[in-house]
Amino acid sequence: MNIQASNIHVTLSGQMILNDINADFPPGQLIGLIGPNGAGKSTLLRVLAGLQMIQEGHVSINGERLQKLQRIDLAKKMTYLSQSTECHWPMSVERVVMLGRHPHVNSQQIGNVDMDAVNQAIKDVDIEHLIGRSVNELSGGERARVMLARALATGSDILLADEPIVSLDPRHQIEVMALLQNLANKGKTIIVILHELHLAMRYCKHLMLLDNGRKVAEGSPKSVLSADILQTVYGVDAIYGNNQGENWVLPWKCC
Amino acid sequence: MPVLNSLNNNYQEKRLIIILMSALVVLFIVSLMVGDVNFNIINALKSLSNDDSTLESIILMDIRLPRTLLAVLIGASLGLSGAALQGMVRNPLAEPGIIGVSTSAALGAVIVFYFGLATAFPMALPLGGIVGALLAVIFLYALTRHNNSMLTLILAGVAVSSLSAALTALALNLSPNPYAALEIFFWLMGSLADRSFTHVWLILPTTLIGWWLILSTRHDLDVLSLGDDTAQSLGVQIQRLNKRIILGVALSVGAAVSVSGGIGFVGLVVPHVLRPYVGYQPGRLLICSALGGAVLLLAADITVRLLATQQELKIGVLTALLGAPFFLHLILKSKREWAP
Repeated sequence: MNIQASNIHVTLSGQMILNDINADFPPGQLIGLIGPNGAGKSTLLRVLAGLQMIQEGHVSINGERLQKLQRIDLAKKMTYLSQSTECHWPMSVERVVMLGRHPHVNSQQIGNVDMDAVNQAIKDVDIEHLIGRSVNELSGGERARVMLARALATGSDILLADEPIVSLDPRHQIEVMALLQNLANKGKTIIVILHELHLAMRYCKHLMLLDNGRKVAEGSPKSVLSADILQTVYGVDAIYGNNQGENWVLPWKCC
Repeated sequence: MPVLNSLNNNYQEKRLIIILMSALVVLFIVSLMVGDVNFNIINALKSLSNDDSTLESIILMDIRLPRTLLAVLIGASLGLSGAALQGMVRNPLAEPGIIGVSTSAALGAVIVFYFGLATAFPMALPLGGIVGALLAVIFLYALTRHNNSMLTLILAGVAVSSLSAALTALALNLSPNPYAALEIFFWLMGSLADRSFTHVWLILPTTLIGWWLILSTRHDLDVLSLGDDTAQSLGVQIQRLNKRIILGVALSVGAAVSVSGGIGFVGLVVPHVLRPYVGYQPGRLLICSALGGAVLLLAADITVRLLATQQELKIGVLTALLGAPFFLHLILKSKREWAP
């Protein structure tokens, strides 16, 4: 599914958070949304998910405006994975993942399709060993994976994920990025906010760089993560390399 | 398929519902049998079926049956409302009594008493209770919407309770008739004694509408556990859900308090005890809490009738005596959340 954001302006408490953002996110791509703290990435993701009031502009999915869609229909098309991994009650891991099926389950009767989706998501995110445990007993990284499994269990064509790998260990960061890349290759539209520029360079097909609420660069990882741009926007010097045909970048020092 | 078994295993929940329903049926029958006058319930039922108006049949139909029905209705309303409020504000201390909803409902009912509206228009009593409860829930929701810490909720509840109690005291203080003031004072303690079928019919419509509104949120309430943004992204209409719970609690608790006076802690104790048996899912907790509330209040009402006190112990006093230490236990258990 294709998501388009046109002329997005968001002001919060008199401060401009997003200023004239235009973007077109085609299906079948893993898109990285990057930028320094306070750049407006999370706000943009919430706008795309229809969770943030906008002063100007609109978002559409396959040409249909978000406001015209029923919440429940939108939930079937698009999943939003928040930065927060909180669960207010000590539910078991599998029950939390099952909540991802909420848009598809009209009653509390769980069907085989729902069960298969939950099992697959749990397997994909490698949390089978956590089944039966309360989410509140888990570490931050484990909880983040449970929430990712919850998002994947919905099975929607669009996934918007706000820093899904921020609290994961390196192995699980790589696994999750590879999984998201794989899902994108299967035709899903996946937009992730990332601070891990090396993983953005390696796994994303397309990057959008925000700074102070404005889009400052967009395109292939190699073009967006250039030395000039990283110096200007992040204030860092980076080192670059190539491993078995894949480019890598590593922010090295402040400039 | 390791998850399949654990998710489809609702055995505990079904067993809990069966146990609660069985307890309710047993207590219902016991409640019809217990009172100042001892008689054979079978004989009373026979008299009723023969259209004989015996003392036993009159006591059964005019005193014990309405009292029992009210205990079931009011207990279920309190249990259900406690579970729904806790799910909505995502806080185990939310309870109509503790957060001032019952006190505000009582204030609404006292105002109706005070101006003598109840005699002119019987529906004014539940309406007064409902309006009082509604104002309290809206105020609390507005205050805790962006900050659902226990401290904010409890402080807001204390403020609502204090204001309602002060206004109720003012009404009692300014009452032109000291006997009326005394009557209101005793009524505030909470009791199901001397109630009739008129009271049942009076609260039945609003209670049922309140239950329906609350129960209609049960599928969405589980998702709310993950926060507002996630719930919305999963198709939950948060504003509609909150409105339904607020109105449902106001209708059922307002109606309950207007007939029984203040009965606290049922909505706190019951959901807390039952929550582990439903996998901590707020939506699944609703029906169990309603049944649990009915069981607890019916048991409490039977107890006050059985206790050999000179004057019948008020049921609100008993639930407070049992519930207050429980409340303290909950606070001590979650004291880490209070730490700065």
